[in-house]
Amino acid sequence: MDRSKGIRTLGKRFFASIDKIPRAPPDRILGLTEKFNEDRNKKKVNLTVGIYKDAWGQVTTFPSVAKAQRLIDADLVLNTDLSYLPITGCPDYSEHVLNFLFKESCPLSGPKLLKEGRVSFTQTLSGTGALAVASKLLALWVSQTVWLPQPSWSNHRNIFRSNGFTNVKEYPYYKDGRITVEEWLDHLRSAVDKNSKTRDCILLHACCHNPTGLDPTKEQWKQILDTIHELGMIPIIDMAYQGLESGNPPKDAYLLRLCLDESLYKSWPHGLFVCQSFAKNMGLYGERVGSLSVVTPPFQPETKDNVDSQLKQIVRSIYSSPPGYGSRVATMVLSKSFLKMQWYKDVEFMVSRLSQVRKEMHELLEWPSLIDFDRQHGMFYYTGLNPKQINALRNDYSVYMTMDGRISLSGINDCNIEYVCKALKSVTKTI
Amino acid sequence: MSQTVLNNIPQLPADALFGIKQRSSRDARDFKVDLGIGAYRDENGRPWVLPSVRSAEKAIHEDPLYNHEYLAINGLPELSIGAAKILFGEESHALKEGRIISVQSISGTGALHIVSKFVAKFLAGRAVYLSEPTWANHKAIFKTQNVKTEAYPYWKSSTKTLDMDGFLGAIKSAPNGSIFLLHACAHNPTGLDPSKEQWPTILDTLASKEHIVIFDSAYQGFASGSLDNDAFAVRLGLEKLAKSCPIFVCQSFAKNFGMYGERVGCFHLVLPQQDANVDISKINRAISSQLSTIIRSEVSNSPAYGAKIVAKILNSPDLTKQWHKDMITMSSRITSMRHALRDKLVELGTPGNWDHIVSQCGMFSYTGLTASMVERLETQHAVYLVSSGRASIAGLNKGNLEHVAKSIDEVVRYCSKDAKF
Repeated sequence: MDRSKGIRTLGKRFFASIDKIPRAPPDRILGLTEKFNEDRNKKKVNLTVGIYKDAWGQVTTFPSVAKAQRLIDADLVLNTDLSYLPITGCPDYSEHVLNFLFKESCPLSGPKLLKEGRVSFTQTLSGTGALAVASKLLALWVSQTVWLPQPSWSNHRNIFRSNGFTNVKEYPYYKDGRITVEEWLDHLRSAVDKNSKTRDCILLHACCHNPTGLDPTKEQWKQILDTIHELGMIPIIDMAYQGLESGNPPKDAYLLRLCLDESLYKSWPHGLFVCQSFAKNMGLYGERVGSLSVVTPPFQPETKDNVDSQLKQIVRSIYSSPPGYGSRVATMVLSKSFLKMQWYKDVEFMVSRLSQVRKEMHELLEWPSLIDFDRQHGMFYYTGLNPKQINALRNDYSVYMTMDGRISLSGINDCNIEYVCKALKSVTKTI
Repeated sequence: MSQTVLNNIPQLPADALFGIKQRSSRDARDFKVDLGIGAYRDENGRPWVLPSVRSAEKAIHEDPLYNHEYLAINGLPELSIGAAKILFGEESHALKEGRIISVQSISGTGALHIVSKFVAKFLAGRAVYLSEPTWANHKAIFKTQNVKTEAYPYWKSSTKTLDMDGFLGAIKSAPNGSIFLLHACAHNPTGLDPSKEQWPTILDTLASKEHIVIFDSAYQGFASGSLDNDAFAVRLGLEKLAKSCPIFVCQSFAKNFGMYGERVGCFHLVLPQQDANVDISKINRAISSQLSTIIRSEVSNSPAYGAKIVAKILNSPDLTKQWHKDMITMSSRITSMRHALRDKLVELGTPGNWDHIVSQCGMFSYTGLTASMVERLETQHAVYLVSSGRASIAGLNKGNLEHVAKSIDEVVRYCSKDAKF
C-alpha cells in the first residue's frame, strides 16, 4: 500500500506523544503496601493502610456481616438476581442508609428533611466514589474551588483535581501535635469573599480526621461552622469513620447533627454534601459500599429533582450502576434489628481494641498524646515523625508507615507491639 | 426564598433504558413483556444465575481466607491476566511481547470511561467516531470528558444490512490518527456484525490511516457460545494494527457471566510494536501509573466480590468448562427464540421481511419497527422495547412469544395503514 509521507510523520508523532507520557507518582498509601509485600524480613509490620486487623493480625469479617452473608446465601430472591441495580443504586439500600444517616444519626432534624424530600441520594463506590460524584457535580455547575485541611487524606487532592476542580486550596489544620482552629478560621476569613459570585467548597472530616486522628471539640466545631456559614461556603462532609471514634455509629455523626440544627443554621443555601462509607465501620473495604447525600435548601423541590437528574447522568457516564453484592450485605445488616445490634457490638469491640493498643503503646513509649482520648480518635495515630525517621523505620526495621507520619493502630497486636515500640523509640532518639 | 447557586442546575431527561424498566414495573396489566434492558432471562422469564457462578460463589465463601480487604488500585491480577488470555488468546503475540497493559474496571462502562479520561488527557483534540446507531451511553461517556464524538455510517435501514461503503468512506475521510470505536461482536443495538470477510478490509483501512481503535467487547461468548469465535475481530485487529497504532479494549463480564450488577470488567491498552531501541517496559510502567491515578481519583479501587468470582472461574479448569457450557445454554436459547419469532411473523403474514431477526446475533435485534410502532406496542399490548426498535431477544420465551408476535403483527398493520408515503 502506498503510504504518504504525511501519514508516516503522524505515526511518529503519536509514538512521540505516547513516549512522553510521564510516570505518575505511585499512590502514597497503596504503593507502600506493594513494597511491603516484597519485603523479606519476617518481622515486617504494615502500619500503612486503614484496614482493621484483629488481635491476631488477621483481617476478619465482622460477625454481623458474616451473618448477613449467610442470610443472603440462603435467600432465594436475593441470591438469584444478579441484575443491574438502578443507576443511583438499590432502592432498599437507599431507604435504609437514609434512615440510618438522617433518622437514627440525626433524630431531631433529619426526619423533617426526608419528609420534605430535600435529600438527593445516590449509592456510591464507597467514600471515594461519593467524593468523585459530588466533585463532578459541583465542578460542572456550582464551584471549582475547594478547601482541604492541611494535612488531609492524600487522595482528596487527586479526586477534586481529576473531577474538574481548578482550585484546590488548603486551610491550616495541624501544627506540632495540636489543631490550629484560630489560624484555620483567620485564614478563611481573609481569603474567602462572601460577596463573590462564586462559592467556595470546604471539605470537613466528620470524625477521626485522616491522617492526624485529631478532631476539633464540639465547641470548636460550632465556631468553625459559624464562620463557614457566614462566608457562604459549601460544606462537603467526608464521613469515612462513623463509629470509630466512640464505638457508637449514630453518636459519631455529631458534625452532621450540628450542621443540620436549624436553630443554628436555618439552611445551607448552596447545598450540603455528605460523603459516607461503610468501608471501615462495616469492614466492607473492597466491596465499595457508600453513599452521597445532597441536602438541598428548603422550599425548592425543583432543585432536588434537578440534582437527582444530574447525579444520574454523572454516574451513568462513569460506571453505569454500582456493584450489588456489598450493598446487599449492608442493606441486610441495616434492615434486621438483630443484625444491627450485632453490628453496633462489632464496632464497639473494634474501637475498644484500638483504645487498648493506644494504652499499651503509651505504657511502652510514654507519649502522652497516645491516650488523649478527648482529641485523638480512630484507627490512625499521627506520630509527628519526620521523613528521615520514617525511612529508617522502614529500611532498618521493616516497619512501614506513610510518609506523613501516620500509623494505623490496627496493625499493632500483642505479637509485634514491643518490636514496633522499640523501633519507634530507637529512631526518635537517634535521628 | 433564598437565591442559591444550586438553582442554575438544569433537569435532564431520564435515561431511556432505565426508564423503560421503571415504566414496565409500574404497569398494572397482567400480561406484560419487557424487551428493553439487556439482561439474559431464562425460559421462565427469570434472571438466571450461571451454574459456574453459583459453584464459584460457594467455593469463595468456603475459603477460610475469604475477606473483604481492598483490592489493589489496578484490581485483582488473577482477573486481569485471565481476562487478557480469553480475549486475546493464549498465543497472542502482543501478550507474549509484553505489549498489553491490563487493569480491572467497573464493567464495560468503567473501562470506556477510563478510555475517555485517557483520551482527554493524552490524546486531546482527536475525535472519537461512533457507529450510527450505537449504544446510547457511548456518546455520553465521551461527552462528559469533553471528548468530541463523530458518527460513522453503519446500518443501512433500507436493506437492514451493513453500510460497508459508508463505513469505509468515513474511515478514509477522517483526519489521520482519529479514534474509532468498534463493537467487538454482537453490535449493540443492531445485532449486526461485519462478516469475517468484511473485517479484514475494515481493519486494513483503519491501519492505513493510522487510526486508533477502541474495541468494546461486551458479549464475548454470549453471542455465539464460543469465546474464540466472538473474539475474531479483536484478535484480527491486534494483528492488523500491530505496526500502526495502539488499541484500547474495553471488556465487560456482565453478560457472559450473567453478573450484571456486580460490575466486573477490564480495560486493556495494547501498544503497537516498537523499534528495538525503545524500552517497552518503561512505557508500560508509565501508562500503568497513569491508569492508577485515574482509577484512584474516582473509585480508589474496584469492587472485589464479582472480580473474585470471575477470577475463580477463569483459573479453575472445571469451572471454566462449566462456564463454556453455560454460555452455550444462553446463546442457543436466544438463537432458538430468534427463529421462533421470525417463523411466527412469517406464519402470521406480517407485512415486511423478518429474516434479519435470524441473521443478527447477540442479545438484541434491531427489528426495524418505527418509534410509533414501539409506542403502540407499549400502550396497546404492554410490550416494552426501546424507541429505536431494539428488542432484547433474551426477554422472549415460549410463554410470551405468541403474544409478542401477534402484537408486532397488529402494530405493523395498524401503522402501515396510516402511512402517508
